[in-house]
Amino acid sequence: MEIKKLLFVTRFDNLRFDALQSLMDLKKAALNHVVFLNVIERDKVAMRRGKGYEKSTEIRLREKANIRFIDWAETLFEEGMEVGVYIVVGSFAGQVIQAAEKESVDLIVLSPEKKGRLEQLYSGSDITEIVHRSATPVLVYKYLAQKGPLAENPFEKPLLATNWSAASQRAIDYLKSLKTVIREVDVVHVASEKDLKETSAMGIQKTRKESRQKLDALCDELEDFGITAKPHVYIGGTVAEIDKAARECQSSMIIAGSPHKRLWKDRWGTSISKGLAEQSIFPILLIPPQEG
Amino acid sequence: MSKKVLIVDDDPDVRLFNATVVEESGFTPIEAANGEEGLKIVKKDRPDLVILDVLMPKQSGIRLYRELKTDKALIGIPVIMLSGVAKRTFLRSQKALTEFGDKPVPEPENYLEKPVEPEELAREIKKLLG
Repeated sequence: MEIKKLLFVTRFDNLRFDALQSLMDLKKAALNHVVFLNVIERDKVAMRRGKGYEKSTEIRLREKANIRFIDWAETLFEEGMEVGVYIVVGSFAGQVIQAAEKESVDLIVLSPEKKGRLEQLYSGSDITEIVHRSATPVLVYKYLAQKGPLAENPFEKPLLATNWSAASQRAIDYLKSLKTVIREVDVVHVASEKDLKETSAMGIQKTRKESRQKLDALCDELEDFGITAKPHVYIGGTVAEIDKAARECQSSMIIAGSPHKRLWKDRWGTSISKGLAEQSIFPILLIPPQEG
Repeated sequence: MSKKVLIVDDDPDVRLFNATVVEESGFTPIEAANGEEGLKIVKKDRPDLVILDVLMPKQSGIRLYRELKTDKALIGIPVIMLSGVAKRTFLRSQKALTEFGDKPVPEPENYLEKPVEPEELAREIKKLLG
């Protein structure tokens, strides 16, 4: 039996794009089609007393998933793969089975059980339910180690995190000076959920489009300079999302501008540089702004 | 009878938005929720214009576009790509498929990145349908 089409089921925390990339050896066999599925479980948008159905939460979750999937799909499309996507609200196991049937996939890839033992006792295991109800083989993907793959040459494939500040600009200039040792750079901007101008899908897409256009211009600038660059937009907590991006891009290190000392006192400034240095498993290159 | 515009997008809100713009522009919208459904409708109804998303279930806009631009009977139908996927990626993916042995395809008549203002979409539709 050939694996031509796989269903990649993700909640974005325990199963990221780097996991999918590790399965791309299947292309040598027959794999040519990946279908992404994100299930927004009902309890996240369910009716709550005095609130009703949280439509705006659903829109935000959908758009956040959509932004990640577009980013992943762009990489796969450029490799000549076919890509599909489902972002649905419902019960996890039911939606996985439904998508697998609709798409006639040959393999389902998902992360280990999210439910605790106690929860499984009364509501059952999602994985067991999927295996029992579906005829499709299931791969429960696990990372061998918590840390990401760290390259021998940290400057080979850096991830540049930018927030368009003066310090970020200096990081870009610094990056350019490393041209001879860099093979490729992934350029990331993290928009915080607070930055999303509206709760409508169009408003969120507009925020993404604006960030993406700026990133495209920056990547063009780097490419003109002779550095291969790829843009990515993430939404969420800055430190966590930069770390996630570095894992997904299989980066060798993170480069970021660090704000001026005066600004370090600002709430966000200190926490991002410090947070990255302390929490991320990747080497971090922090570029301070010019003195004066 | 007014000219027909096929809208292929998996998001019902986007289909509704596009259909409204098409109607307001004086044309008749037809809808499909994925590439596979879109291709069936193209062959059956032969629309005068296709507004096509890229990332969809069943069959992507990249493959449907390729079908439209390599089938002699459909090649003349203009296509507006309307997607969150960047134009650069779309062109690179078509190039990759050509390198893998598929026929080369021309660039789409227009490529718009989502979201798009209704006036801009209406203008592009009218430009292509006269």
